[in-house]
Amino acid sequence: MVNMSDKKISLDKVFTFGAVVILFTVFSITATNFFTVRNLLTMALQTSTITLMGIGVTYVIITAGIDLSIGSVIALTGTLAVMAANLGWPTWLAIAVGLVTGIACGLGNGLLVTHLRLPPFIATLGTMMIFRGLVLTVTNANSSPAPDEFGALGNLTLFKVSAPDGTTVFPGISYIVLVMIGMALIFHFVLKKTRIGRYIYAIGSNEEAARLSGIKVRQTKLAAYVVSGFLSAVVGVLLASRMVTSQPNGGIGYELNAIAASVIGGTSLMGGIGTVGGAVVGSFIIGILNTGLTMQGASYFAQQIVIGAVVIGAVAIDQLRNKRA
Amino acid sequence: MKKATILFLSLVFAAAGVSAQEIAVIVKTGNSSFWQNVQTGASDANKELKTMSKKLSVTFLGPQSDAMINEQINLVESAIDRGVKAIVLAPSSVDALIPAVAKAKAAGIPVIILDSKLNGPTSNYVSFLATDNVGAGQACAKDMIDRLAAKGITAGKIAIESWAAGQGSEIDRVGGFKDYIAKNSKLTVVSTQYCGSDQVTALNQVTNTLAANTDLVGFFGANEPAAVGMGRAISQAGLSGKLVAVGFDGNGVMQGFIKDNTLTSMCVQSSYKMGYLGVKYAYDVAIGKKKISDRIDTGFLMVNKDNIDTQDAKNVLY
Repeated sequence: MVNMSDKKISLDKVFTFGAVVILFTVFSITATNFFTVRNLLTMALQTSTITLMGIGVTYVIITAGIDLSIGSVIALTGTLAVMAANLGWPTWLAIAVGLVTGIACGLGNGLLVTHLRLPPFIATLGTMMIFRGLVLTVTNANSSPAPDEFGALGNLTLFKVSAPDGTTVFPGISYIVLVMIGMALIFHFVLKKTRIGRYIYAIGSNEEAARLSGIKVRQTKLAAYVVSGFLSAVVGVLLASRMVTSQPNGGIGYELNAIAASVIGGTSLMGGIGTVGGAVVGSFIIGILNTGLTMQGASYFAQQIVIGAVVIGAVAIDQLRNKRA
Repeated sequence: MKKATILFLSLVFAAAGVSAQEIAVIVKTGNSSFWQNVQTGASDANKELKTMSKKLSVTFLGPQSDAMINEQINLVESAIDRGVKAIVLAPSSVDALIPAVAKAKAAGIPVIILDSKLNGPTSNYVSFLATDNVGAGQACAKDMIDRLAAKGITAGKIAIESWAAGQGSEIDRVGGFKDYIAKNSKLTVVSTQYCGSDQVTALNQVTNTLAANTDLVGFFGANEPAAVGMGRAISQAGLSGKLVAVGFDGNGVMQGFIKDNTLTSMCVQSSYKMGYLGVKYAYDVAIGKKKISDRIDTGFLMVNKDNIDTQDAKNVLY
């Protein structure tokens, strides 16, 4: 039983990874400057935030939940971090303010779902509005610049190589990408190798059976929402740092990208199925499409159609294959 | 907070049947610094007018987002129901608000249209008060052409970062820009992207456009979030000062970009003046029974490094 589902998931991965390779090849041929080191690094940077959100929402979706508050949490946490930095607090403390806020938001979502027994869709729809309202209230909707030190995390790169004459040989890997890789490894490990990870799958597959076998359902679900809140905060802080600006109006609709990345990567909205690796690949499919279509000079309207079709196509193929299996 | 109090008070007055003289200012959304600035103008006008009419109250209302057209219609209808003296409205849709405005006219309530145009018979409202967006778009185009010419560039590729296709003010502004470029220069627009008023989306789109077109000579960021994202992308690509970048609107971040040469210039419309004049004229028409012009231009100013510290610029920057 376990073996079979493992096999299916690995087949899914091969399939979605194949899609990445195909997209890559097509854009490398049709768009000039697409297949360059610099552009690949830029694309990794732009996609990293979708990846991080996608991993968080994957945890929640595996429990058969959903998190619609991601975009609002991003705006709230990023803005609070910038406000803390503007009070003269050291950057690490400002970042901590953002992350702790994100954990609190996730905890709030989780408590509404587990203790008030609200449907996750309703709970997080409500908090999406509440968190947005909070950030607009504290800022009066004004976005404000952050100190330069605060922008370091989002704008500096590692392994940058410059020629003696000052020209850039290798632009370096953005810290944002490194954070994404680190988080992906950690949360992959947690989901696959720890008890709480197994509990998350168990709850999503059959909540009642999980409860009867002694799994602490409430705490486990709470943990999943906290992971989503925390990773949203990571994105909030990274984006605020990259823009060196607070954006109380930013992040609107980002949760839809996160959910799309997760679902393209094979996560089932019914719960019980999904992987961190899938969310990573799914987010890169979206990222490659965003960048590739822009660089190809495709009209913005056509881009929407293509991306929408890919989301539907990816899930449709998955469904058809599941039926046959 | 202030907004909530005003709303609450106006509801109390309406419920108690006190014959307050209410002017309702209904905007596209309360959630942006542009509209907050309109509110500041409106409440300053209110303070001034209070000395003449103690019963006057100005309410400032707007839905959560500028896509919530139905909610805006509801706000207009409830203003009509509570018998306000005048309505100042920034319509979120060029067509959808026509019936609501006609209803106000039928109820004898004068309406002043703010910021974005409304289709239908112009007799439905007393005046249209806005930045001349076509003119402002043309001014941005002219500025770009002149500044490129000063660098010896008369032909080449430029790109546009806009916010939402099909809004009245977007059609006029970006359309005015494109028309002027086409008629008065050998520049070609190679890309027009829409960021949905999200800075990070604008940053990503502009970064990709710059990467795909290394020979770009100019970029136009057509509203505040688009221009902020554009500025950040240009600065991160190390192209500050190498590219002629013209922005629209002018918050604190954009003022910083002007000072470090990332933005060559920005076209700032006076959102404060819109709110201030909107209320003033509404008062003149509804309570002062004066006639006002049916088209009032609230104006704009091209701000650059040379004039950013002048009083003229300070009056429009926010």
